[in-house]
Amino acid sequence: MKRTFDAIVVGAGPAGSSAALTMAKSGLSVALLERGAFPGEKNMFGGVLHRLTALEEYFPDFWNQAPWERHIVKKNLSFMTPGSSFSVSFDNEEADTPPYNGYTIFRPKFDNWLAQEAVKAGATLLNRSTVDDVIREDGKIVGVTLLRDGAELRAPVVIAADGVLSFTAKKAGLRQGKFSTENQGVCIKALIDMPKEVIDDRFGLVREQGASNEIVGNSAGVRGGTFLYTNYDSLSLGMVLELGSLTKTDKTPYDLLNNIMEQPQMSKLLRGGKLLEYSAHLVPKGGYDMIPELVGDGIMVAGDAAALCIITGLNLEGINLASQSGVLAGKAAIEAHKQQNFSKQSLAVYKKMLEESYVLKDLKMYRRTPQMLHNDRIYNQYPELICGVMDEIYRIDGTPKETMTKLLLRKVKETVGLKNMLADVYSGWRAL
Amino acid sequence: MKINLDEIFDYTSFNVDRDPHIKLDEQICKICDQRSCVNCCPARCYTWDEEKQKMTFVHDGCLECGTCYVVCENDAFTRWRYPRGGFGVCFRMT
Repeated sequence: MKRTFDAIVVGAGPAGSSAALTMAKSGLSVALLERGAFPGEKNMFGGVLHRLTALEEYFPDFWNQAPWERHIVKKNLSFMTPGSSFSVSFDNEEADTPPYNGYTIFRPKFDNWLAQEAVKAGATLLNRSTVDDVIREDGKIVGVTLLRDGAELRAPVVIAADGVLSFTAKKAGLRQGKFSTENQGVCIKALIDMPKEVIDDRFGLVREQGASNEIVGNSAGVRGGTFLYTNYDSLSLGMVLELGSLTKTDKTPYDLLNNIMEQPQMSKLLRGGKLLEYSAHLVPKGGYDMIPELVGDGIMVAGDAAALCIITGLNLEGINLASQSGVLAGKAAIEAHKQQNFSKQSLAVYKKMLEESYVLKDLKMYRRTPQMLHNDRIYNQYPELICGVMDEIYRIDGTPKETMTKLLLRKVKETVGLKNMLADVYSGWRAL
Repeated sequence: MKINLDEIFDYTSFNVDRDPHIKLDEQICKICDQRSCVNCCPARCYTWDEEKQKMTFVHDGCLECGTCYVVCENDAFTRWRYPRGGFGVCFRMT
């Protein structure tokens, strides 16, 4: 098979489909390649779909069109030890009216919907198409070959939106060498069946309101965090574990997740649930400094392939950045077609637009955060400190109480250490 | 409730390809002193046999997450790619 298009998009995830939709709407012929049997089949995430401002031009009433589970009105942050948990909860009426700020979604449904919208706009979706290599002529990328008896697709511009490992970007020479284990996290997730009414009662929700819970601690010292999200009638429980830290232990991701499931406060929330599906994927968590070359001759990189992810502990953003980058890459390709110039210099407008958008501005602002999160005390001593202080504040055991200052100082010395704490507060302040 | 990987085919679907998408150079695995793939793989696809001094990778239940590609320090792969189109893990909901 040999076919020629105006543009090829590798990967029908949020970045790829946003790019394909943008280009197809302007009349370009677009091939959208998906290695699964349908878009979304290979996709999982440990997150919430945030408001997709980049797509509001195409879907002004996104919430009426996209398939979602619940919209998030309640955000919880918890510090957990093996036997206790301290939570802060923010429940916000403002988040209960459209445009919603965030949704829980199922990726096989959502990604398929977005890809089909690109098809409706005129894009050609080619499922079961794993890219084997890029085609290079005179140093320019002019197409891709598929892992399917020598099939060849050609276009003057290729958008690599093939996810975190992006072999397309690598083969085009935009990403060098090996990934650092500190820059990658493995996300594992258990989907748990639970009746809607039980979820509503347990999490204090009505109608299609949803809750998200981010949890720090009880990860056996491995750097990472736990998340628990409410879907319509199921829960998503998972962890993101930094690979650099995981390789230094003999712990397995599933044992760590099983350990969380058995933690007393967590097991109360999961009681009666039944495991429906288990999934895993890498998350690029290195932030700004991990971003590869974004453009080359005839090629642009978008989404996870470009490491456009923000993980601060409080905010976990990915799909919104992916879709924004996809739209901008699409716009750059449209411009390149107008100029009939697909050189690196011409496509650099993509990088410029990304820099002017919130995507690279936010990634730059949180540039120091990944380094800050490489602090092991966050995952061990701080949850112990917080839960330990709460325990002593509430405990009545017939002994006289200490002043709050004395209690805090003693607890800090017992767990984190005073010097460490001051250093951490400083670096935390700088990083966030 | 517990994740038991002996039962992974009960809750995650796969369309297994005959041809593995990941292949190892056993000689490299033999002299590796890290073997991070064994504990880091979330699907327990890698097993090290101490007696036979042999690393085994079974691609059937691979979740295609990419962990082994990143944690392998010695680049022991003679092949690491995603499965051919339409093969491999099929998430239904998640």
